[in-house]
Amino acid sequence: MSKTQMNALMLAAMIGVALVVMVDAQTKPAAGQIPRAPDGKPDFSGFWDNPKEPGSRTPATVFNRDKMAPFVPGGEALFYEPRTGDPRHDEPRAFCMPSGFPSAFLGPYPIQIIQTPQYLVMQTEFMNVTRIIPLDGRPHKTDIEPTFYGEPVGHWEGDTLVIEGRNYKRWSLDDWYYQNPKEYRMHTEALRTTERLRRTDIDTISYEFTVDDPKIFTRPWSVQWEMKRHPEWEKVGLYEMVCNENNRCEGGKCRDGK
Amino acid sequence: MRTRLLAMTLGLLVGAAPTLVAHHSFAAEYDSSQPVKVTGVVTRVDWTNPHIWFFLDVKDEQGKVTNWGFSGGPPGVLQRRGISKSVLKLGDTVVVEGFRARDGSNNASGGRVTFADGRSVFTASNEDRAPR
Repeated sequence: MSKTQMNALMLAAMIGVALVVMVDAQTKPAAGQIPRAPDGKPDFSGFWDNPKEPGSRTPATVFNRDKMAPFVPGGEALFYEPRTGDPRHDEPRAFCMPSGFPSAFLGPYPIQIIQTPQYLVMQTEFMNVTRIIPLDGRPHKTDIEPTFYGEPVGHWEGDTLVIEGRNYKRWSLDDWYYQNPKEYRMHTEALRTTERLRRTDIDTISYEFTVDDPKIFTRPWSVQWEMKRHPEWEKVGLYEMVCNENNRCEGGKCRDGK
Repeated sequence: MRTRLLAMTLGLLVGAAPTLVAHHSFAAEYDSSQPVKVTGVVTRVDWTNPHIWFFLDVKDEQGKVTNWGFSGGPPGVLQRRGISKSVLKLGDTVVVEGFRARDGSNNASGGRVTFADGRSVFTASNEDRAPR
């Protein structure tokens, strides 16, 4: 082999090593760095888990009353929906009705996020609920019926993904598992939510959630929690969860068979 | 007679400390003040959403057999926890602890299954109340 050939081979090998290092650096950021999408935005893609009560499998309470704003006159009556004794009214989720947003996304189930330049897709394993969030900051619709999961629209503020939610149907504002027989907590159709997501390190999303419901509260109020990454869930992905398949003791009345 | 039968077939656990745990249906469907503990033979396993169900033939002191149904977590949650359908085999004798259905039927939320060899698995949903 000539010296020129030798040099060319060594150069090719060096380029090869450099490429491998670059690719590796893209998929595995060094400590303190966050993964970024090809467009330079922080990449939230992956499998995530909500915070748990210390030492337990159960999700942490994020909607403590003491973190909420004071009520406007008449707001308390709208917030604490009186129980009627009818399980269809008092616990509609037991009849496979939707949990709504954010309740469905606060449970002890994995959440997968898939990010493209145009959309952030957020799916929880709990009842396979999917949010497809456009990231172009488009105006909210003005001519649609309100829905259980509302209409989220995202935009970037630097490295923070801001998701504004509108067009919510009057529904539960509970924590996913919150239960107090005297307090079924609800929001009105005036609800506006703001989520501020920051990827603070490779394993963490800082999630700030703001509730603005001027028919209930005197001012917007916010809570913050952290979602943790679970790369070990990537291999299997999310499992299917279908509420109506075998909801055998629906609303407290068990039936025989499936 | 029904009450007497239940008293014989159920080990009622008293004094279990309440915990703030529920899910979309636990509080509506199960009574956390009615813990149950039974020993029986597995007769059927429904590996279905939103909760698995497994059934036991439970024999009382007179030899009368009653079939009990126990719900567990969703299949996906259990699978991720390392508990697959094959854990519960037809014909196995197991001990199940849980909380009785609100309608008083022979159904319960099954939180812990203990096998003849002493192995024990937590079969409830993450958010369900766990037996202590």
